[in-house]
Amino acid sequence: MKSLVSRLRQPAPAWLRYFGWNTDHKVIGVQYLVTTFFFFLVGGALAMVVRTELLQPGVDVVNGTQYNRVMTNHGSLMIFLWVIPVLAGFGNYFVPLMIGARDMAFPRMNALSFWLIPPGGLLMIASFFAGAAEAGWTAYVPLSIRTPDGQTLWALGVIVLGTSSILGAVNFLTTIVTMRAPGMTLWRLPLFVWGIIATSLLVLSATPVLTAGLIMVALDRLVGTQFFAVAGGGDPVLWQNLFWFYSHPAVYIMILPGMGIISEVFPVFSRKPIFGYRMIALSSLAIAVLGLTVWAHHMFTSGMDPRLRIPYMVSSMVIAVPTGVKIFSWLATIWNGKLRFTTPMLFAMGFISQFLIGGLTGIFLAAIPVDLHVHDTYFVVAHLHFVLFGGSVSAIYAGLYYWYPKITGRMYDERLGQAHFWMNFIGMSLTYLPMFLAGLQGMPRRVADYDPNFLVPNQLASFGGFLLGISVLPFLYNAFVSLRSGKEAGGNPWRALTLEWQTSSPPPQHNFEQEPVITHGPYDYGEGHLAPHPAGAPAAGE
Amino acid sequence: MEYTKPMHEDAFRAGRALGLDHLKLGVWLFIGSEVMFFGGLIAAFLFYKVNNPTPESALLDVGLVGINTFVLLASSLTVVSALAAVGRGDVASMNLYLIATIVLGVAFLSGQAYEFVSLFRHGLTLSSSVFGSSFFTLTGFHGLHVLVGVAWALSTFFRGMRGNYTRDEHIGVEVFGLYWHFVDIVWIVLFTVIYLI
Amino acid sequence: MESPAPPVTRRPISYALVFLVLAIITAVELGVKGLGLPRAATNVLFLLLSLGKATMVAAFYMHLRRDSRMYTAIFLLPVILFVVFALLTIVI
Repeated sequence: MKSLVSRLRQPAPAWLRYFGWNTDHKVIGVQYLVTTFFFFLVGGALAMVVRTELLQPGVDVVNGTQYNRVMTNHGSLMIFLWVIPVLAGFGNYFVPLMIGARDMAFPRMNALSFWLIPPGGLLMIASFFAGAAEAGWTAYVPLSIRTPDGQTLWALGVIVLGTSSILGAVNFLTTIVTMRAPGMTLWRLPLFVWGIIATSLLVLSATPVLTAGLIMVALDRLVGTQFFAVAGGGDPVLWQNLFWFYSHPAVYIMILPGMGIISEVFPVFSRKPIFGYRMIALSSLAIAVLGLTVWAHHMFTSGMDPRLRIPYMVSSMVIAVPTGVKIFSWLATIWNGKLRFTTPMLFAMGFISQFLIGGLTGIFLAAIPVDLHVHDTYFVVAHLHFVLFGGSVSAIYAGLYYWYPKITGRMYDERLGQAHFWMNFIGMSLTYLPMFLAGLQGMPRRVADYDPNFLVPNQLASFGGFLLGISVLPFLYNAFVSLRSGKEAGGNPWRALTLEWQTSSPPPQHNFEQEPVITHGPYDYGEGHLAPHPAGAPAAGE
Repeated sequence: MEYTKPMHEDAFRAGRALGLDHLKLGVWLFIGSEVMFFGGLIAAFLFYKVNNPTPESALLDVGLVGINTFVLLASSLTVVSALAAVGRGDVASMNLYLIATIVLGVAFLSGQAYEFVSLFRHGLTLSSSVFGSSFFTLTGFHGLHVLVGVAWALSTFFRGMRGNYTRDEHIGVEVFGLYWHFVDIVWIVLFTVIYLI
Repeated sequence: MESPAPPVTRRPISYALVFLVLAIITAVELGVKGLGLPRAATNVLFLLLSLGKATMVAAFYMHLRRDSRMYTAIFLLPVILFVVFALLTIVI
């Protein structure tokens, strides 16, 4: 009894703070990372159902309606509850640290941004009990106003998650503009911060339009408005405009912070200044601006005004230029570098090769004749997954491994990490490369059944998919076990120059013992006087 | 509960060097996103106005809405006068202007409610046609923003009564004003695209 | 600390005067609408007048005229984006 009372009087253990309302950006960052990874696992489990169903022709494991529900929620969870918010999680943890601030500009609003995520996710998952959304993550009307009630919950969930994004974007931009430490000028911002700037601008410009569109869908379903009811004069193309005005920029929302992570990883593990710092920073802004002008390239087959097709094709293709600037700058950064093939470095290199395939097939799809041919086939599925899985998820893994020592104070197990990388890389290629072939041969997407001619690519894709599913296990094991048994990381195990590494791991609540004063760029490697550690101390992975 | 240390006095010095207040910057960024929210709704309204015109728009009573427009414009004057008053250190006048703002905001909402009811009587509802859907959704969300503005005005008023604002510290009044004027600007645009053109 | 900004010599435009102009423009709009002229003739006029009103509220009541240019940019860029989006949506 006595011991119980005294135990109750003790301050709550440190880990408890991750389970409640907390305004420390580092706590919120971890809350984001862990919560979104949970949704990643749920979305991944749904993907396993999809690949099991497609293991052979015929409708066997789930029926057509169930397949549509699984496929729809797989996409929605992965986009709205994994890739977009997990990158906001990295932003929360590292943007204040990287610019030398004590916290975000609006800490309470920051906590609110996070606490909107679990309800949004629960709304989406709860929809399974009310006849889940089954109109695809694109929720095309009029299908999405005729499906069962779960679609309404889905729409409300996405509105809530969009609101969380918007509040986060306001917070990031305000923090970066007003809270930089002395000497942290515009051209000394780490490139991850530039990625967050570009993404936040996109979120502010595009997400509210999706919110407006989803409100119309919800009103059509709930109170009988006629926005998309074709019989009442509603027009489905309006939804496509509203949806793609957000959802095309959304792919840049999902890739620009990832590109920022890649830009952090390459110079550190190449021990070289990044090549073309300003061009990489400006190309993020260029992608953001161009990304807002290309949405109708998703609508080439929707009967749009033919005069507008060519301009949309051209503007879509132009995005390859700033993207190419980034890729060549990264290659030039590792050229002749003193490379350390740590797990984050491997994921960063995997990112380049896989994102390149995704990006190049994006140019194919922007070409009107090709798009008319492969529209709504598996070619699109393969392209999208090379960009979002090969691109964004590789970058997220790179970031998780790169910053694991900073967040936890412990090193992860390098052998397990590398095993994870190879399983992920092989699984990814095996899953999505055959889909290009199936798509070119005309296999339609979003169907539970298929022509037996497509058996081989589908079986390859399913085996690859299962390998991807298993590949999460070494990661999870590594992440949990290293929390206790990992080697002490120290403040700066990678001997990196960016500010988040110039404090202890994990950082104290106020981030820095003394307010940092910045006198050099974030990637000025190879200049002796900047060595952040006593000379001779080997960096991890060397 | 965890005790959170107030932020360092100098935390926002990078913003100050640029002449930017962090709260004001945050509110402006939020207003920027609100532009796009109303942008989506207005685009939908115009889409149907151009591509699917209906005779129902003749039911709208421009005269009544004109009066409402004057009411909202006047409320912007009272809001900006409240800010000017607190800038002089005249908190009492500020509170009076805020009360006037609340009264005008409620008057606007009442006028809108009256307009909605009379349109219902003529058979124009949310579900009667695409015009009804887009009209009520657009003006309804503007009305909701006015309602939020009235609530914000009330909270500003009570803070003012408690003496939270002084001649030198009144950023809260200013950012409330930014929101209110933005809602006024939205109305100026809606009045034109719905009732005039 | 920076040296204080030089005192503003220009007399600030009175808020009441701004309101008067806004009210007059609105009255003109209502008057023109009441004339029942053909739409093609009046639409451009209405758009220009309302653009003027919105600009006045933003410039004088929201103080964009004397505040940091960054606020103006944050407000103006989405407005331009909205106009582009609305026009293209209607055309598509």
